[in-house]
Amino acid sequence: MRSRAGLFLVFAATATPLAAQSSQFGVRGLGLPMRPLSVRSTGTGGAFGLFDSESSFNPASIGLVGFTTASFQTVQSWRRSVSPAGVATAQDNRYPGIFVGAPIGGTRLAISLSFSGYTDRNFSIASRDTLILRGIPVETTDTLRSLGGVSDVRAGIAWRSSSNLQLGLGIHMLTGSNRINSTRRFSDTTYAGAAEQFTVSYLGMGVSAGVVARLGRALTLAGMVRADDKLRVERDSTRLGTTKLPVTVSGGARVQFGDQFQLAGSATYRSWSSADQDIVDQGGIGSVSTTEVNVGLEYLRDPRRPNNLPLRLGFYRSRLPFPVIRGQNINETGISIGTSKRFVGDRAGFDLAVAEVWRKGGAGFTERATLLTVGISVRP
Amino acid sequence: MRVFQFAAVVMMAWGLAACQERLTTPVDCPELCPGNSLIVRDTTIEAIFDRDSTYTGYLRATDIPALLVSNGLPAGDARAWATFPRRSDSVTVDGLAHALTLDSAAITFHVLGLDKTVQGTQLAVHRISPVIDTNTTLAAIDAQLTPESLLGTIAVSDTGNARLVLSGDGLLKIALVEADSFRLGLGLRVDAPSPTGVRIASLNFDSRPPTMTLYGKIVIADTSKVRQTLTAVADSANYAINTPAPPGQEHLFVGGKNGSRAIIRFVAPPALKNSAIILRATLELTPAGPLLGLKGDPAALEVRGVLADVGAKSPYLANLRSSLQLPVDVTTVQSIDLREIVGTWFLTSPPPSALVIGINPEGGSFARPEFFSTRSLSGRPRIRITYALPSQPGHP
Repeated sequence: MRSRAGLFLVFAATATPLAAQSSQFGVRGLGLPMRPLSVRSTGTGGAFGLFDSESSFNPASIGLVGFTTASFQTVQSWRRSVSPAGVATAQDNRYPGIFVGAPIGGTRLAISLSFSGYTDRNFSIASRDTLILRGIPVETTDTLRSLGGVSDVRAGIAWRSSSNLQLGLGIHMLTGSNRINSTRRFSDTTYAGAAEQFTVSYLGMGVSAGVVARLGRALTLAGMVRADDKLRVERDSTRLGTTKLPVTVSGGARVQFGDQFQLAGSATYRSWSSADQDIVDQGGIGSVSTTEVNVGLEYLRDPRRPNNLPLRLGFYRSRLPFPVIRGQNINETGISIGTSKRFVGDRAGFDLAVAEVWRKGGAGFTERATLLTVGISVRP
Repeated sequence: MRVFQFAAVVMMAWGLAACQERLTTPVDCPELCPGNSLIVRDTTIEAIFDRDSTYTGYLRATDIPALLVSNGLPAGDARAWATFPRRSDSVTVDGLAHALTLDSAAITFHVLGLDKTVQGTQLAVHRISPVIDTNTTLAAIDAQLTPESLLGTIAVSDTGNARLVLSGDGLLKIALVEADSFRLGLGLRVDAPSPTGVRIASLNFDSRPPTMTLYGKIVIADTSKVRQTLTAVADSANYAINTPAPPGQEHLFVGGKNGSRAIIRFVAPPALKNSAIILRATLELTPAGPLLGLKGDPAALEVRGVLADVGAKSPYLANLRSSLQLPVDVTTVQSIDLREIVGTWFLTSPPPSALVIGINPEGGSFARPEFFSTRSLSGRPRIRITYALPSQPGHP
């Protein structure tokens, strides 16, 4: 027990820099929505997220945790963004997820604590303009940089009613901040550059509930619902307002074909339009509700050792909630591939997923990104 | 333990290989930016009426950094002089004094500045009475600069050393006499086809004062020691200048031999305090007439902030100064950027919003600009401030 407690403390202490890959579509609203998935689920396009015990999506899936498990993942992103102002290539590295779960000995309960990205608002945008200063045109270069986002800290518990039915409940705390840095520089160096910095911080709560039910030998169904309260927004300790957060409803099915092959699909709806008025009131463009569909498969080379280099493939398509231009929806399409490997008697290992993502926002905004997600898992 | 070692190695390798950031993306603003960038504005503040003054006497007569010599320059007609102490007539070689028989002598002046566009500029070196001091007038010096007292002329076309070499009968002209207490006085004037001037290093300038070097021979068995030199450095040097009369209260005047400085006071706009970022602050001074000085040898107008406003003796803010090279003969408004000084006026504990203006080199320049004061009907001193106000971008 001492080692388990220590593990919890280690992950809790390293949990602050939560964020994920950046995007030009993360500039507006609360940023780019994150998907609280494990690397395994990421490799299947998110299709296995409702069923995966190391994902922080469906609290019922915690019931599938058979051992004390801890995992950590990081994402390296390379992207090419096109906007009416030009083309940019960018790259960044983020640490979007930590998960610790364990069964409670002698009971049918399992618990978990996880940290994942809720929205990511890491961006740096640059623009040029010409001002007339003292009667003379002076070219300016403005840079606006934001670091941070909203993180989702979930404490979850699941009850394994039987090997075919798990129920779960999660309590979520949404917290985080954006450190905003705005600079303006002038081509005429007799004018000094200027900068301003401030921090926008967020705090909110939410609950989630889910179920995983196995129907027969081949079919497993899962569903979850999540409701988040209003997100409190402050700028340098001054209250800016609140943002109503969406209700999330998701359902999916997994079909087992023999011992080696399984296919899953899921759909998720998030009522982000409920935040529209709050975001407009805070000076933003607004938000729209989103739907996401995911399809994925997993092929096990060795069913007795499922994590010995399996093949995972996935596809997903979703709408992003925060448009750059009102009325112009942003769609995201991704394909992914992944695998994993365990060592030392399955007590440690890594997971790997590579995703190619296309985002289109209308009005000339497009983006293509390659995301390399690496996770490590340990079972102390 | 093997599990944690494995985890540590993987994390370290990943961190080294992948932890890079390059985020910036171009966008069109303000339409597509989450909020406006910093708001830039411009304002002008005029100096407080009748709170500006000229003070004179910051420099002792012996502290001048340069000697001025000119011929009818509008900025001032100037003559320079130098005196040399009684010199020895022998040199000590191998512990013994040997009488020095002179062959030649060189008088060296270090030229700091001149108008190179005036061709044929010459320094005329005269022998004058060594009984001379800083109260000696230009007329009194001029009276001694006669053809009979002329030692010679030095053509001056560039900065650096200017040497007058005397030999033969010329040496007789610098012979020491008891009536002068065996001291030597030299007077300098400028000969040129048009009004111009020359600045020469004084005793206070970087170890290059007027110097006299005597070359001669001694009688000694060792032939390698026959040729000897004696060097004498001027023990006093100064100049007399006839300048235009000091202006009235409607003008501010800086420069001059005694060092005149002007203090100008402003009211820092309260609206800029706390939140404004000063992007540029420019002091604008309007010349009361064509700026006087020596072409090709500009002086700098120096502006400093004050730590406390106690009038003429206000202490300066350390390490904060702005300067502008003053042109000659122009009447256009002179603009000096002083963002750092003005920036201090908006700090939490700001210094007085006052400026002290002077000339560099003070007391050693022909520049003597006059500007309109706050008592003038127009052209009062003012500061243009361009500032930015925070816009708090990053809207959702």
